[in-house]
Amino acid sequence: MKRILALFLALIMLCAVAVTANAADELVDGKFAETRHITVRLFQRGDNVPEESPWAEYIRQGMLEKYNVEVEFAVGGRWTETDDLGNLLAAGIAPDIIYTYSYSTILTYADMDGIIDLAPYIEQYKDLLPNLFGLLGEDNVYWDKDPDTGKLWALETRLVNNARINTFIRKDWLDKLGMSLPTTKAQFEECLIAFRDNAELLLGADAAKMVPYSTSQDIGWRNNILTVSFVPDDITDEELYIRGYDDRQQFLPGAKEAMRLLNKWYNEGLVWKDFALYGSGDTTEDDNLKAGFVGAFQHNYDYPYRNGDDSISANLKRNVGPDAEFVAVDCFENDAGVYRKYLGSTVDRKVCFPSTNDEILASLLYLDFISSPETILALQTGVEGINHERAENGAYMMKAVDPTDPHYQASLNNIDFTMTCNGQYLGDYTEASFAYGYAPVDPEVVQNAYIVAMNGGRVPAHFSLPAIEAEVGIGTTLSTERDTFLNKAVTASVEDFDAVYDAGVANYMAIGGEAIMLERAEKIQIATGYVFVK
Amino acid sequence: MKNEKTAALAAQPVRNKKMGFSWSTYFKRYWTLYLLLLLPITFFIIFRYIPMAYILMAFKKNNIIKPPWQVAWAKNYGFEWFIRAFNDQLFIRALENTVKLNLLDLICGFPAPILMALVLNELAFKRFKRFTQTVLYLPHFLSWIIISSLAVRLLADNDGLINILYKQMTGNKDAVIPFLSQPSWWVGTYIGMGIWKEAGWGTIIYLAALTSISPELYEAAAVDGAGRFRRIWHVTLPGLRPTIITLLIMRLGYILGSEFDRPLAMSNTLVTDVSTVISIYVYQKGINGGGLFSQTTAVGLFQSVVGVLFLFMANFLAKRFGERGIM
Repeated sequence: MKRILALFLALIMLCAVAVTANAADELVDGKFAETRHITVRLFQRGDNVPEESPWAEYIRQGMLEKYNVEVEFAVGGRWTETDDLGNLLAAGIAPDIIYTYSYSTILTYADMDGIIDLAPYIEQYKDLLPNLFGLLGEDNVYWDKDPDTGKLWALETRLVNNARINTFIRKDWLDKLGMSLPTTKAQFEECLIAFRDNAELLLGADAAKMVPYSTSQDIGWRNNILTVSFVPDDITDEELYIRGYDDRQQFLPGAKEAMRLLNKWYNEGLVWKDFALYGSGDTTEDDNLKAGFVGAFQHNYDYPYRNGDDSISANLKRNVGPDAEFVAVDCFENDAGVYRKYLGSTVDRKVCFPSTNDEILASLLYLDFISSPETILALQTGVEGINHERAENGAYMMKAVDPTDPHYQASLNNIDFTMTCNGQYLGDYTEASFAYGYAPVDPEVVQNAYIVAMNGGRVPAHFSLPAIEAEVGIGTTLSTERDTFLNKAVTASVEDFDAVYDAGVANYMAIGGEAIMLERAEKIQIATGYVFVK
Repeated sequence: MKNEKTAALAAQPVRNKKMGFSWSTYFKRYWTLYLLLLLPITFFIIFRYIPMAYILMAFKKNNIIKPPWQVAWAKNYGFEWFIRAFNDQLFIRALENTVKLNLLDLICGFPAPILMALVLNELAFKRFKRFTQTVLYLPHFLSWIIISSLAVRLLADNDGLINILYKQMTGNKDAVIPFLSQPSWWVGTYIGMGIWKEAGWGTIIYLAALTSISPELYEAAAVDGAGRFRRIWHVTLPGLRPTIITLLIMRLGYILGSEFDRPLAMSNTLVTDVSTVISIYVYQKGINGGGLFSQTTAVGLFQSVVGVLFLFMANFLAKRFGERGIM
């Protein structure tokens, strides 16, 4: 009897040791023995209920079956993400997995010990994360690793499609006026003038509402191709990095001349007069586009085609007629005659774990799960017959889904759920399926937009440098000031342009822009020996 | 002080007893009053006094993850963030704008309800008076978000109703009144909208004060041959004086205070030079991605301290001029 008891006790001890001693301790056959619970940030757009969608259910079920991890989604607005993040972290109730587009926000909270250094955990669990490494690659995983301290505050998720911005023009208007698609800046300007002068012919009773060229208060983004076309083609990667903190490229050489042209257009009545009055997220400009009052604009490379039946393209056809269409054109040549565009790199959103996260392994496994090709395929393509049909060549042809249908995807390619992947990622079918992703828009129009957006593309180089201290906590201030002075400069009179613009740049540099530039220059000189001349 | 007086008055009968003042008798008699006080005091403790501990953040290193008492002191004996704020030209701009807009609001906005109350008081038709009052109160119940959207629809350069009409009237396509897009015009719009929204509501307190003026005074004045304006000048306005002084003191205490939703909603990128007030600065530098929580707390503290100083000063002046003051 004693012997049996001893044996029994020994067995229990052995089990206990086995459970606690293992490196991936809690996993038994790749699964947690006890159910774990994690919370995950999920963006909401509009009035949908993302946590009740079939996509959320797919993830919850998958994680429970595969790893025995319960997933709870913490929903928050897409357009208030940075505010929310701060509040959640401050209150100590941030979800276990959070993500944002703003790396400097993460740095701010990392400075407060609010973010976990992922470096040791990535090393420890690397073998358990094949899909995460497969999708992101070593480059993205270690992108933000500080070469001095070795700290890794965030994982850079993957941008599959790095097309960025396009110029769109109303082809049906050009046809009506007997003009061809513009191929140079001068021709583009002629088109705008023709739109303005023929408002009566093109809009009839609504002639007063004519907007030859539309933009928003986010001048830098919305005139990015115009801006870049004035930047010398031979600018070096180092120079691009040092002067390129602003992701709208507004502080590169030549940017001022681009704004001068826009200012001239504005004063000639070619630009929407009220653009500066509406904040980001306001739909007035979109409404103008949908109503057919606008001749041309620059925006995200697929902007008029997004959102299915509610897209600008679909609305335009309903409101104006089947011929009405915005097509992407290449007409902003630079000094080398190239239609230059600065593309996104391979990085997109930044995922990090707050220091309140006590389920690091489960959280990493979550990232691995949603990075697996099957998961991405399932989340992006949805249900056959509802979200897509298959073409003969196997391509996924997406269908327009009613926004009230639970299968509606509130974000393009369902990126709100595929946290680690932005852009269609369908394995062998990616290329064939791309143009079908925008039903009911004609696939050829979409394909053209993509080709134009990539033509002359340049990906700014990434330098692995220590964190730039001057960037911490200043991002929003700088971008607000940038928008402010660009708005003022563009709407100033032609005579005042120089004064307003120069004062704006001086102010931007004084409140932090210059400090960032100089620190970047200093750190790049240490790393590569490049000498920066202001 | 007022409270002490009432308490003293209330305690009167208790003290008259042979035993002198007795706390137990006092409480036995008045405990219900203290019970009534319990809830509001709890409210103030939880929502007003406990949060004050976090003022410490203004003197500590920037950290909102840990409670401030666990965070190290900021540089310069804890005054790092005050120094930084006053070296920040954006803060100086916000400070200037706050004072300017508040002064303008005071000069234009403060007399408006008084004038309106005087006019309303003179209306003879009761029904018309009530109707007018109700119409004047209504805008108060609209949020600034709604009003700013209305303002944009009405006043925008290109698509605004007023400018569309103006263009048609003048026959000039480029004729535009830049209500919202030029800083000086914007200030006018901002102040005007404020008066439109709040003046009617502000009349309530004056109208209430007017009812306490004895009609005999008016009759006496009329007998002495005073006309309508003389009566307003010599009877109505002196009757309103204590109310006006009280409200003025409170307004002065608010000279560095700033509304948040009003400038946030009404502003646009073309007028930030005049529209960014302290509350907007705090919002942008703090929770809206700026992350400078200690600095914005410092700014908030500075704002409150100056507000209290103004309040005491105004109160002191009021007493010097023979009014009762509020403290």
